[in-house]
Amino acid sequence: MPGGSRQGDSIMADDDLDLSTLPDDELVAQMHDDLYDGLKEEIEEGVNLLLGRGWTPYKVLTEALVEGMRIVGIDFRDGILFVPEVLMAANAMKGGMYILRPLLAETGAEKMGTVVIGTVKGDIHDIGKNLVGMMLEGAGFEVFDIGINTPVEEYLEALEKHDADILGMSALLTTTMPYMKVVVDKMKEKGIRNDYIVLVGGAPLNEEFANSVGADAYCRDAAVAVETAKQMMASRQGSVAARMKADAAAAGA
Amino acid sequence: MAATRNGAVLVGGDSMTFAPTYGSPFVLDFENKRRYGTIEDLNQFHKLAYMQKSMHFTGGIICEPVDVPVPKRHLHIAYSLLKWSDKPLMGATTSRERAEDSVAMAQLAFGEEFIRDHTVMTSIINCNSPLVWDSTMLDALKVYSENNQSVIVSPFVLAGANTPASSTASVAQLNAEALAGIAFGQAWHAGAPTIYGQFLVAVSMKSGAPMAGTPELGLMNLMVGQLARRYGLPWRSSGMLSGSKLTDAQAAYESMANMFPIMFARSNLIMHAAGWLEGGLTAGFAKFMLDCEQVEMLYRFAQGPQFGDFDAAMDAVRAVGPGSHYLGTPHTQEHFQTAFFLPDLADNGTYEQWLAEGAKDSNQRALEAARKALDEYEEPKLDEGRNEALLDYMAKREAELPDDVT
Repeated sequence: MPGGSRQGDSIMADDDLDLSTLPDDELVAQMHDDLYDGLKEEIEEGVNLLLGRGWTPYKVLTEALVEGMRIVGIDFRDGILFVPEVLMAANAMKGGMYILRPLLAETGAEKMGTVVIGTVKGDIHDIGKNLVGMMLEGAGFEVFDIGINTPVEEYLEALEKHDADILGMSALLTTTMPYMKVVVDKMKEKGIRNDYIVLVGGAPLNEEFANSVGADAYCRDAAVAVETAKQMMASRQGSVAARMKADAAAAGA
Repeated sequence: MAATRNGAVLVGGDSMTFAPTYGSPFVLDFENKRRYGTIEDLNQFHKLAYMQKSMHFTGGIICEPVDVPVPKRHLHIAYSLLKWSDKPLMGATTSRERAEDSVAMAQLAFGEEFIRDHTVMTSIINCNSPLVWDSTMLDALKVYSENNQSVIVSPFVLAGANTPASSTASVAQLNAEALAGIAFGQAWHAGAPTIYGQFLVAVSMKSGAPMAGTPELGLMNLMVGQLARRYGLPWRSSGMLSGSKLTDAQAAYESMANMFPIMFARSNLIMHAAGWLEGGLTAGFAKFMLDCEQVEMLYRFAQGPQFGDFDAAMDAVRAVGPGSHYLGTPHTQEHFQTAFFLPDLADNGTYEQWLAEGAKDSNQRALEAARKALDEYEEPKLDEGRNEALLDYMAKREAELPDDVT
């Protein structure tokens, strides 16, 4: 059955499974399964259990949630999981993040990253933007979706208000996509362009266009948007991605 | 009824009309390169559409002229349509002002009085499904309706994403959206020429990308056709659609799989009938030519079996008798050119002949045909005074409009 659990035989047992009886390693593996199956309540329960056992918020985030969503991402890319299933997984992830986010902030832990995303002025076509927003949330990003028909002032205001790392802009129309340049030019004018990662997407765009408006990258679909956001955050100090990269490098050394 | 400079095109009743693809930001050009469209590409597409007898409409933005700044782009699109073709055209709908410019330019080309009594253009008014009609589109609808120019009131259906995951419920939704838009238009201007429309693709749950030529889309088109006839409305559908990036097998079979149910559903205006590739992101010159030939054949198909010369043909059967052949009979001499459609772009010769001619595939043959057609193109004569008036109007508007998006 498409989209069934990779460890499919665990599905039958889920109803009866008491997560609290599982040792840490089995609980984490079960949480990877539960993310895959989009089970929000189970993820919330798992997060609380691990925290109760003295795990740091950072460890819960990276080992249970981010790793689980990494598996989801691979199977989405490979055509094993479908869009509605990935959205359910992202929703479960969002449930876990809701618990972890304040704790991460309290402990001064690195953050996944904050994204302000919106469809540009003149354009009301937002299915793609919505999908990207949900997938970014699924990857642990905090996403502020400021909607459709967004003028430059609203983008700038939201970036500042939410202390964002990433600005995401979308357009479906060739007549509205040039507005992205208006936003980037205004950021340059204010001297804040390089404070943010600027990602753009939408059907009529391509890499050449993204370069011409001064964006950091063109993201051809939601999966690539998530991948690009993660990669770019890895070179931004104070991010989970940067610490994970440093940890991996240290382990390899 | 849509008027041309030399005749009329009926949209509705038993008639079936075709228009090229619309709105592609990219072209697949003569070098098989995918790149942003330019005004020169658009001029060429308009010329080709003018020359193709299978296209009843020149179309509109067959490819987007991305090299022209957005605020002035609609003027150049309208001029290209009016200058290089005399068939019915499509107007801008991205703002009230642009719709007004489209009407004003049509008035200059056809004459203000003529436009008052004749519908020379149609324009796509999209519903942003699910269930949203926005003011930009409805403003454009008002402009065209007030000027006796037709509109295609058309939900933009990405089935499964902005409609339910059910083909029957998707039709119910798009029908409600279309009827709401039509009711608005008729309330605004009673009797405005209106086409019940839909743009219909399914969404791949693997990626979110649009798909065409799938079985449910065929069934949905048949259902929409039945509804249109129940309401007594002329209806628009979307024909030669494909997700393919190239003029290849996928492009051909998806387009025809999408088109055939539409023929049986007796759509009155079939848009995207030539050139569509890559879910509409790309307009291909080769695909345009190949589609036009397919559409000519479909047009013949839609006319049904012909019995006009049946008795004379049966006389030939009696005259030839058993064995022998019909190639020399008077009936064959008289009818062979029209009896069976003879495609130009399909290659049905011997292998050796094909090899001798350069072993060209259909993409290559179609590109050569497009080049040849453009070389032989003769401009339909737009009155010099009217041409001057159009150029003056554009210059005036260009001076008023901003140089770029703000």
